[in-house]
Amino acid sequence: MQPAALEGKPVAEALIASEADIRSGLADNLVRLWRYGLVLSHRRDIADDLVQQTCLRALERVEQFEAGTRLDRWLFSILHSIWLNEIRSQRVRLGQGFVDANEALVVDGAHDTETHVMANQVLRLVNALPDAQRAAVFLAYVEGLSYREVASILDIPIGTVMSRLAAARAKIAANVSGEGAT
Amino acid sequence: MNDKNPILSDEELTAYIDGELSDAEVSRIEALLHSNERVGARLKFLSRSSLQFKQAFEPLLTAAPKTELDAMLGIVPGDAKPAPSRPSRRGFLSAIAACLVAGVVADQAFIGIRNRLHAPDENSEWRTVVAEYITLYTADTLAGPSPSDDAQAAQLALLDDKLGLSLSPQTVSLPGIEFKRAQLLQYDDKPLAQIAYLDPETGPLALCIVRSAVGTKEPDVEGRHGLNVVYWSNPTHAFMLIGRIPIDRMQELAEDVRKKTLA
Repeated sequence: MQPAALEGKPVAEALIASEADIRSGLADNLVRLWRYGLVLSHRRDIADDLVQQTCLRALERVEQFEAGTRLDRWLFSILHSIWLNEIRSQRVRLGQGFVDANEALVVDGAHDTETHVMANQVLRLVNALPDAQRAAVFLAYVEGLSYREVASILDIPIGTVMSRLAAARAKIAANVSGEGAT
Repeated sequence: MNDKNPILSDEELTAYIDGELSDAEVSRIEALLHSNERVGARLKFLSRSSLQFKQAFEPLLTAAPKTELDAMLGIVPGDAKPAPSRPSRRGFLSAIAACLVAGVVADQAFIGIRNRLHAPDENSEWRTVVAEYITLYTADTLAGPSPSDDAQAAQLALLDDKLGLSLSPQTVSLPGIEFKRAQLLQYDDKPLAQIAYLDPETGPLALCIVRSAVGTKEPDVEGRHGLNVVYWSNPTHAFMLIGRIPIDRMQELAEDVRKKTLA
């Protein structure tokens, strides 16, 4: 089973070249992947595991990467799937709780600036969202992905992306405004 | 989905804000925005959630243990069956700690962006900006012990210096409400003094001061973003006290501060 794009090239050579590309793409995206892992799990150690497993999985499945598509999107979807199908379910099964979201994503406060305080408040608002909404908000508004790309990474229909983002916006707006809309 | 506004769903308005609609859909929504007040109000409400997400999450990139991650990729075997091995946890944690201490990218745009959307009434706009800030404060924002009198005086001295004030821990003290910090912010390229307090019952409140040439104005009250505001000015400065304390109590507190800052 060979990807169509590789037609006419010696398969071994194509795969080697492709793996080098993926390796270099991984190196460029490690920090962003780690941040997504942190947003999903609220745990630095799990973010670390998620990145490592994403690297392994991507290198194992080089041939599944469609040439000409965005590598970072592909890596995000691998990380998300590992989180959802493996790590998260395992943690739930083992009954290990998650740390308080308010603690996990907040940046060190030793040298507080007002910007810093505000950033932490935005993080808190996002952290307060349910998991599914939080992932959609992160991908759409922090990573700047289109609805279509978010849908592909989360493996859900575009309509579901829209409703998660709409629900998240309503909730954040309500929290920003204090009690309800004015 | 949204029973408050049957004409346009929150999904449609969200997609509109996010620029995800076709030209035809955009035209339809914009026509409705002109003709239907509730649509506009709902759009305005949902737009409050347009925060600086990118900037807020930027520091988490700095916080990532980049060196360790790079090393990890280096040890991932390229062949078929890699044995997962990981860097030592201890090394990881110290790397994370180092990255965290390295701090945060300060982003002036973060403050600037919040000035939009509001009427360009110079005298009240600064209060809008402050109110937007304070709505985001929680008791957590101001967690931790209150500074000593000496520390308070030192923080206030910085404000005095930049704004030509003469504040002391006594002049800015509020009865029964803890002083948490005094800091110098910036609004519209001008210094803004913010003294933050924590009321055990209603949460954060703040006394904010800017230079002002508007002249003396008696205290007045207003509500902004669900917060109570008492504001006034003397010949050199404009003041506002903002929080969730009931308005008559806020007025008493403000009057107390006003007298002390006159002296």
